Amino acid sequence: MNEIVQFMLPELGLTVLLFVLLFVRIVGKLELAGQVCQLMNIALPILALCMWFMPAPEGAQFGGMMISSKLIVTEKLLLLVGTWIISLFSSPWLRGHRHPAEFYMLMLSTLMGIFFLLSSGDFLLFFLALELSAIPLAALCNFDLEKHVSGESAMKMIFSSALSSGILLFGISLLYGATGTLSFVQIPALLDGSPLQIMAFVMIFTGFAFKLSIVPFHFWTADVYEGAPVPVTAFLSVISKGSMAFVFVSALYTVFRPLSEIWYIAITLLAVISMTVGNLFAIRQQNLKRFLAFSSIAQVGYLLIGISGSSIDGMSSVVYFVLVYVFSNLAAFAVITLVSSATSRETIDGLKGFHASNPLLAWVLALALFSLAGIPPTAGFFGKFFLLTAGAAKWNSPVLIVAALNMVVSLYYYLRVVKAMFMDSSDDTMIRLTPNVSVQFALLLCTAGILLLGFYSPAYEWIRSLSFGI
Amino acid sequence: MGAGSLIVLIICGIAFAGGGILLSKVLAQTSTNAQKGQAYECGVPTQGRSWIQLNVGYYLFAILFLIFDVELVFLYPWAVVVREAGWMAFLEIVIFLFILFLGFLYAHKKGALKWM
Amino acid sequence: MNEVPLSHFLILSTALFFIGVFGFLSRRNLVTILMSLELILNSVNINFIAFNQYLWPGKMDGLFFTLFIIAIAAAEAAVAIAIILHLYRHYRSIDAEDVDTLRF
Repeated sequence: MNEIVQFMLPELGLTVLLFVLLFVRIVGKLELAGQVCQLMNIALPILALCMWFMPAPEGAQFGGMMISSKLIVTEKLLLLVGTWIISLFSSPWLRGHRHPAEFYMLMLSTLMGIFFLLSSGDFLLFFLALELSAIPLAALCNFDLEKHVSGESAMKMIFSSALSSGILLFGISLLYGATGTLSFVQIPALLDGSPLQIMAFVMIFTGFAFKLSIVPFHFWTADVYEGAPVPVTAFLSVISKGSMAFVFVSALYTVFRPLSEIWYIAITLLAVISMTVGNLFAIRQQNLKRFLAFSSIAQVGYLLIGISGSSIDGMSSVVYFVLVYVFSNLAAFAVITLVSSATSRETIDGLKGFHASNPLLAWVLALALFSLAGIPPTAGFFGKFFLLTAGAAKWNSPVLIVAALNMVVSLYYYLRVVKAMFMDSSDDTMIRLTPNVSVQFALLLCTAGILLLGFYSPAYEWIRSLSFGI
Repeated sequence: MGAGSLIVLIICGIAFAGGGILLSKVLAQTSTNAQKGQAYECGVPTQGRSWIQLNVGYYLFAILFLIFDVELVFLYPWAVVVREAGWMAFLEIVIFLFILFLGFLYAHKKGALKWM
Repeated sequence: MNEVPLSHFLILSTALFFIGVFGFLSRRNLVTILMSLELILNSVNINFIAFNQYLWPGKMDGLFFTLFIIAIAAAEAAVAIAIILHLYRHYRSIDAEDVDTLRF
């Protein structure tokens, strides 16, 4: 019993937090619920510390349904810290909202779904966790109840995620017919590349591509990101997408390892298309959230190059890239949340003269954008560097050349925002923003993450040492 | 026995039902007048169009019913093996129902069950 | 009496799946789109049950998967209907063409 408790510590911890919130919401008054939400800013790091000092033992439980390893624990920890940062910087937006407790309930249940997703060892648990991480997220997108764009983005989110999981499920059912098992451990030995299995794989791959917004399946991304409230957009683009990247890479490397010759072609092709389309569309965006949506599509393209390496380097570079991406993207979103909740400006032009009124915030946003663009010595450079190194193991030079060209293009549009902040002046000057303590702390964490990961090289080595055995 | 008997059965069924209607059409005398088309005994003339917008409250109840009704699908497999599964399974089902009940309480607290 | 072969079930489920995908892409009423999604999920259910019964009769995986799909489909439909209702209050319409504020 004790063993199972330690094994499921992250999930159980989140369950306890969820129950506390639900009880408070049912029994107590609305003000009390608001105060309890403040406590979540403390409860989440405590849970993270517990996970750090009492890591789940390696192995499998529940008849192989749930698996755990050091790498999985690290991934969970990373996503938990990301959620904590979102929780910290969402406080100015949440203060004016009528349902703070529901925001946390939905966010934590999504996170719980993601945790189960990461440690699923069976397609049944995988599907349940996938839905648990998708359905509350659609409700979260609808959280700006007064804005109709929020409802529209929620509608697009729920329909696209339902369609993608439908396609994924059809693939799983075909795979079940072809192999007779749902367990991740048993499937690889039974894969022989028969047409039915290829068909099943293509459908599962399509489902993943929808969730990761790889290019031919990316149409929902920009609309959902633009309509959703800014903290929810941050959650979507960082936590949700990061978790899908983890699951995607481990599914390809373990379950579908025997089909690697087939998915290698698909992945390199999609990487090229994703980078190019994402970057070209990002150039013409005016809305900041839409801009970051297309930039995240481009980032997934780089991620796919790393995955195509199909080696330990591929695995560890993906984890490292998501680690860097969490800090860089969340720093950008933290500043945008501040601006949006104070002035309700969400366009690039709205940031004109931002440096003159808020020099410190402008520097943080600039640093985040430099990191996303991959300029040394920020961490983003090393993230991309390791991804391309992992991809280069296959000697696929055309793809790498396209990637390098794309980075030049992406530099243009990231610097466009920096130019608007530092060089352009505007008629209506921005008011001076005063972030509260928790937002300051979130910004500090993100900035420290971007800079430290850039200078402190053992981080990658450590992740790489965890990735053995994949 | 086989598919043949099924086809014979279908043909007989259609002949029996359709033949009765046809026979009564041929044999019975018919008369049409205005009074005959009116509602009588239990009913009143309809007002407005039949494609009207239903109250939103119905949808709220439909959503709640949908969730709480369908989740009961998990009780059936348990009910089949209730004796063999023992107290541990019983405890798990109780926890499951307790969580559902919390959801119900939440809906009640939010006033979703009040008729608007 | 002859048993119905497995291929009949697979043809039915594949047809149902693609009817669902077609409905999802071509219908304009949001509730009808939701119904198309349910068609897709039910085609998966048929697949699982048929495979479980014909190819792997000893295991119960497929049956249990079906139960979970039914439950999840209900949860998904509930959230989707709630979102559609909320949209209706803003736009006074549940036509997908009318809900078009966000675009390129």
